[in-house]
Amino acid sequence: MPPDATAAALPRGSRLGHTIAQNIGLILACAILILAVFGFALIYGIEQHRLPGNFELTSAVNSAIPLVFAAVGQSFVVLTRGIDLSVGGVVDLANAMAAVTMGKTLGSALGWSAIILMTGAACGLVNGLLVALGRLPPIVVTLATLSIFQGLAIRVLPEPGGAIPPAYTNLLVNPNGPWALVYILVLGLGWAAFRRSRMGVDLYAIGNDEASASALGVNVLRTKIIAYVLDGTLGAAAGLFLAASATAGDATTGNSYTLSSIVAVVLGGISLFGGRGSAIGAIAGAFITTLIVNILFFGHVNPLYQSFYEGVFLIIAVVLGGAIGGAIRRRR
Amino acid sequence: MSALSVDTRRILYAIAAAIALFLIGEAAHPGFLSGGSVSSILVIASFVGLVAAGQCFVILIGGIDLSVPWVLNAAAILLTTTSLGKNAAAPEAIVVALGMGLLVGAANGIGVAFLGIPAVVMTLAMNGIVEGLTLGLTGGFTCSSCSSYAPPAIQTLAHGTLLGIPDALWLWAVITALVSGALAVTRFGRATYALGTNPLAATLAGIDARRMTILLYALCGGFAALGGVMLVGFGGQASLGLGDPYLFTSIAAVVIGGVNILGGRGNYLGVAAGAVSLTVLVSVLLALSMPDYVRSIAYGVVILALLLAYGREKER
Repeated sequence: MPPDATAAALPRGSRLGHTIAQNIGLILACAILILAVFGFALIYGIEQHRLPGNFELTSAVNSAIPLVFAAVGQSFVVLTRGIDLSVGGVVDLANAMAAVTMGKTLGSALGWSAIILMTGAACGLVNGLLVALGRLPPIVVTLATLSIFQGLAIRVLPEPGGAIPPAYTNLLVNPNGPWALVYILVLGLGWAAFRRSRMGVDLYAIGNDEASASALGVNVLRTKIIAYVLDGTLGAAAGLFLAASATAGDATTGNSYTLSSIVAVVLGGISLFGGRGSAIGAIAGAFITTLIVNILFFGHVNPLYQSFYEGVFLIIAVVLGGAIGGAIRRRR
Repeated sequence: MSALSVDTRRILYAIAAAIALFLIGEAAHPGFLSGGSVSSILVIASFVGLVAAGQCFVILIGGIDLSVPWVLNAAAILLTTTSLGKNAAAPEAIVVALGMGLLVGAANGIGVAFLGIPAVVMTLAMNGIVEGLTLGLTGGFTCSSCSSYAPPAIQTLAHGTLLGIPDALWLWAVITALVSGALAVTRFGRATYALGTNPLAATLAGIDARRMTILLYALCGGFAALGGVMLVGFGGQASLGLGDPYLFTSIAAVVIGGVNILGGRGNYLGVAAGAVSLTVLVSVLLALSMPDYVRSIAYGVVILALLLAYGREKER
């Protein structure tokens, strides 16, 4: 539900208070992100005797950006009360196609990028049609299509390899500066526009109460399909950024994005029960996830225990977030 | 057919799908239906079936367990490192492995029931926690006891036969009877369905929702660990990544078996048939010597086809 829509009707509490309560997930996600940035700077400062600079910022942005795209894609689907387990397969497929097709020139790379994004959209369309028209549960549909997309990716690129033109890498993930932040800005602005559009309102309505939304004239079928198509397209974009960073392709590196995109969405304050949260939060969530890895690395934590600490952190973040959010809603 | 309930029909569909896949296998690769081949396929299916039994419990209450892969893997590693291949230590090792599974599962249940964490998040985090602990405590699986074998007694259990039928299948048959019986006729079963259909109504009817949730997640962890014990008995040695295939397979078996992913409907009989279907499917594709990618694609397509055939949500 868009902020402020019901503020006037509330018996008590200010408009500001209402806005805070409506966006509590996003606010908490940004708070955790700021803490993570300070935590990273602190540990980095202690270890390296200087503050992180341009290089660290660039590498953090460039390593987070594929997850940012995958997580924003996941947001669209989660907001409709769905889930996309196939996003890892879409990332794989896009990554594999990029490595095989792009050739040597920037022109061919850009041309193929468009085709790859359309392929991602087609993957999303398949998911969307099966969920919306086929009336199958999203978790099961995307579990099955994950297997299909991964198979296609391996067919395209059986062994790691291929090549990405250096000019393309410089354009997407320039190693000399955090220019990739521009893409994140575009993504954020795109989200802000989408959220205020008719489609955005419909998306939240479906996530909150599908039957009511349908009764009020929301085209559930079309909105859901579009959510999955956007998700697939952004998943393919994640694959392109991943290929550009690695300067080569691998049909299996994308697998981890299924689960990490869900983690980013949850850390970003989006409810897995749909209808609550913002893709901006998912962007923050993707950065938090990436920063935690950096903090553990510079904190000299035994890498073997890395997933242990990530798991503990996820539980603590979700429990604290829920407790703080609940307390603020109760106080009003 | 119209006399049968939707749930019974779904179980029959799952069984029919398994039989159809066996027949397709025989048509594509004569000899597929020989006794030896069928029994070895069923033994492989039993490992999926054990893990899916736990997954079935939590999905019946509208949950899910994503921590299955590393609970299974950790149980397999605990079994070999505790017993060091000695028969005398086998009972203790089994208790340790299954106990770990039950405890981790109970922790999942506590997170879901008391801390209000969504099941997807809680069990995903738990999978990471168990993975990190397993890797960390074994030094990345480089410990001196890591290469130990499972005790011969357990290997015999996984490979041996009784009255011409593999022991693993006897075990699975007993568990199938226990689980589907418990779900069908006991108070525990009715409480599970009630909780999955409407948690509020179930609580008002006097069911302790939190205790049931913890119990069911604990059972799920226990079954994943049992799968790990059987699997390491079958393979002899534990390895990293042993549990990875069992996450999606166990969920797929539950869903193909006619259990509603949102909870409240379905029975383990269908799930067992689902486990057989999936294993037969992989075996058929292997028998046809299909490359990896075809297997992966066909796996997804067949799951979708089965779901479209009989797994659809009711028309609103």
